[in-house]
Amino acid sequence: MSTRWYPIYQRGNPQLRVFLPNFWMKLIRPTEEQPPNVVTFSVSMEMTKYDVRSYLEKIYKLPVVDVRTRIAMGETKKDQTYGYITKKDDVKLAYVTLPREESFVFPDFFSEKAEKQEKEEKALDESKAGFRRFLDRNKKRPGTPGWFSI
Amino acid sequence: MSSTLIKCFNLAKTVGNATVKSFLAAPKQPLQACSAAALQTPHVQMSMQQMHTSPVRRDLMEFFDDKKNWSENEVKVGRAWRTEELRIKSNKELHQLWFVLLKERNMLLTMEHECNDKMEIFPSPERIDKVKISMENLETVVRERNKAYHLLETGETGERPQKAVKNAFGLQVSYKSCEHALPPFMNLKWIKSRNIGFGGRAVNRFLLKYREKLYNVKRKAKNRSRNEVMMILRRNPNFDLDVLRRQFPDVNVDKLCNEDKIRGHYVPKVGV
Repeated sequence: MSTRWYPIYQRGNPQLRVFLPNFWMKLIRPTEEQPPNVVTFSVSMEMTKYDVRSYLEKIYKLPVVDVRTRIAMGETKKDQTYGYITKKDDVKLAYVTLPREESFVFPDFFSEKAEKQEKEEKALDESKAGFRRFLDRNKKRPGTPGWFSI
Repeated sequence: MSSTLIKCFNLAKTVGNATVKSFLAAPKQPLQACSAAALQTPHVQMSMQQMHTSPVRRDLMEFFDDKKNWSENEVKVGRAWRTEELRIKSNKELHQLWFVLLKERNMLLTMEHECNDKMEIFPSPERIDKVKISMENLETVVRERNKAYHLLETGETGERPQKAVKNAFGLQVSYKSCEHALPPFMNLKWIKSRNIGFGGRAVNRFLLKYREKLYNVKRKAKNRSRNEVMMILRRNPNFDLDVLRRQFPDVNVDKLCNEDKIRGHYVPKVGV
């Protein structure tokens, strides 16, 4: 496609412009302890440091001080029974340093999940009990519609 | 380069504050905030007057879903953008929508990754597909415009040139050409590295067998349909020949009628 077909880089102007970038970036939870102003991203394999920087600065308007990238090798695993080897895909990780005064803590999404689930279960139990009461009441008069009596 | 978009490249700066809200302006579906931007909103008439900039939270929390969706089991969103809806949008709007979709996709991928990490169920994973479909449709529309523009201005489609060449196995592949810094006659490394055509006994033998295989497939298919016609005619002597001709266009039904195999195991009626 012509929008994905870029001419080779040549010095001088006009510079190459990317109109519809299709890079993706995932903000991931860091595995190691990091300074509060360092954020870990998993990015498209084709992205360079400069791409990461301009992506965050231009699209997300974030102040970026420094970007370091590395390619983390995917896990290699040997099958227990048949012995064949499988490998997960490599991923590119970008460690983005924000200004010193910034600090970012990766949020915990599932802290309220247990409470919510408990509530839902409670509501479900209540409705079950209500239905059981209804059945008990209508034991001696089967086929009566629900709206017939209080 | 997408020349149709050249005019609007200045917009890249304004895209951030450019109205996530305006894409949100779907009156009927007050669904999820960010998702609604990226998806649905089919019937919104967007004009420059209606567009308004709104303060968008500009920090890393853009990579995460709305806080109220964090522990939901299901997030309700609209459908993907269709090509016919995108065709009536201006280049500028498409450009803005692309970045809205891009951010939405990043957000969804981030959430999915985190859910997988924590062994939780990612709510409504079809959102990712919807964003993907929308992005594909958007690109199709941009490509259409690009083609039209190039055809009008230059008489060519402006697509990446392709040609059919034979690879090292002698099989035909389409080669997408790309720009090089050096012209071909100066590019000695390339001249030395390339294989002009194909040759050698091994390739020829491979091709012979490969073509035989292809021919056999064809031959067997032909024989199969021929036999099928004959068996049909043997079991049903009064079968409608026109139907057979339509059903099996590659079989010469009239010629088969005289075949011996078509005669069934019954005494033919004579003189009726």
